[in-house]
Amino acid sequence: MAQHATHDTVPTGEIPKPNTGWIWKTFWIISAITALEFAIAYIMPAGTFRNSIFIILTIFKAFFIVAEFMHLKHETKGLIWSILIPMALLIWLLVALITEGSYIGEAVQNLIR
Amino acid sequence: MSTISTTQALSDSALDKPRTGTWDGGNEPFKASYGKLMMWFFLLSDAFTFAAFLTTYGLIRHRHGVYEGTPEAFKFSTNYWPIPEKVFDAFPGLHGYHLPLGFVALMTMILIFSSVTMVLAVEAGHRFDKKDVQKWLLWTILFGATFLSCQAWEWTHFITGTEKGTLMNDGTVFHGANLAMNQYGPVLFADLFFFITGFHGTHVFSGVCLLVWAFIATTNGTFEKRGHYEMVEKIGLYWHFVDLVWVFVFTFFYLV
Repeated sequence: MAQHATHDTVPTGEIPKPNTGWIWKTFWIISAITALEFAIAYIMPAGTFRNSIFIILTIFKAFFIVAEFMHLKHETKGLIWSILIPMALLIWLLVALITEGSYIGEAVQNLIR
Repeated sequence: MSTISTTQALSDSALDKPRTGTWDGGNEPFKASYGKLMMWFFLLSDAFTFAAFLTTYGLIRHRHGVYEGTPEAFKFSTNYWPIPEKVFDAFPGLHGYHLPLGFVALMTMILIFSSVTMVLAVEAGHRFDKKDVQKWLLWTILFGATFLSCQAWEWTHFITGTEKGTLMNDGTVFHGANLAMNQYGPVLFADLFFFITGFHGTHVFSGVCLLVWAFIATTNGTFEKRGHYEMVEKIGLYWHFVDLVWVFVFTFFYLV
């Protein structure tokens, strides 16, 4: 609490006006995508097509959160790639193991029969 | 050894300036401070953990059978994977209504909104607006705590189960779920629910703790004295990551 005395670093009169337009814009985009996902969950019958729409919309949302809120878009190229490349490899793992899961399921079903 | 003694001999004003030499801390890889860089790579490793969870979910879900009837005639059974919107259709205070994914949509919006208040806190930190930083940190803590409370309700409901319950293979009726038995479908469905949402909830909880600490430090003027609010920014990165994970959990656990 002793630090209360040191207000000299930033004088109170010079606080600039907030610049929050881009934050709210990003918020409305993400909210709109979530609302759209919710509407699709109600309207469309379940299936591979609906699931692909969900996944594409999720990637859009993730892009806005990472690029704008986490500011990654404004970092150096090297940092952007060192984050994105490992994540891309994870998508490969995900696809590979989901395929594997279907085969395991089939094999188990055949065993029972 | 000599370096250490010189450092100690330096006056306070010399320590305020960052070192400029290539090998003594003056070099900034990727033009980001070491703290932010470390946070990014920590988050990347954390993303591996969550990706492992979601990949496991995908594998186990595809290993199990698919429900093939009409959505209206759906009944819980251990023979196939449940339709998520049939499991998560309750809303606090609206007992007996079928509101598929209603509560989870609310939770998603709460977390997205907390992400917005977090960016606003970071933005206020750039302007050295202590009052605004405090205000937005408090809002973020409030939304984070609300999300955790919602999750507590969701878990309680999931564990307690529906009134009807489900007739299990051994002839008994079972309500709710635990790690070994589950009225909604295969046992692993409940296990994955507990592990994925639980691990995410633990992250939210840690985030709220960090935010409370950041609020106290802001109030004490620690960051103002330090000359920057980078700590708020780093906690912000963590907080957005937690929001990001929820975006994926929402899609892969509830929607798909």
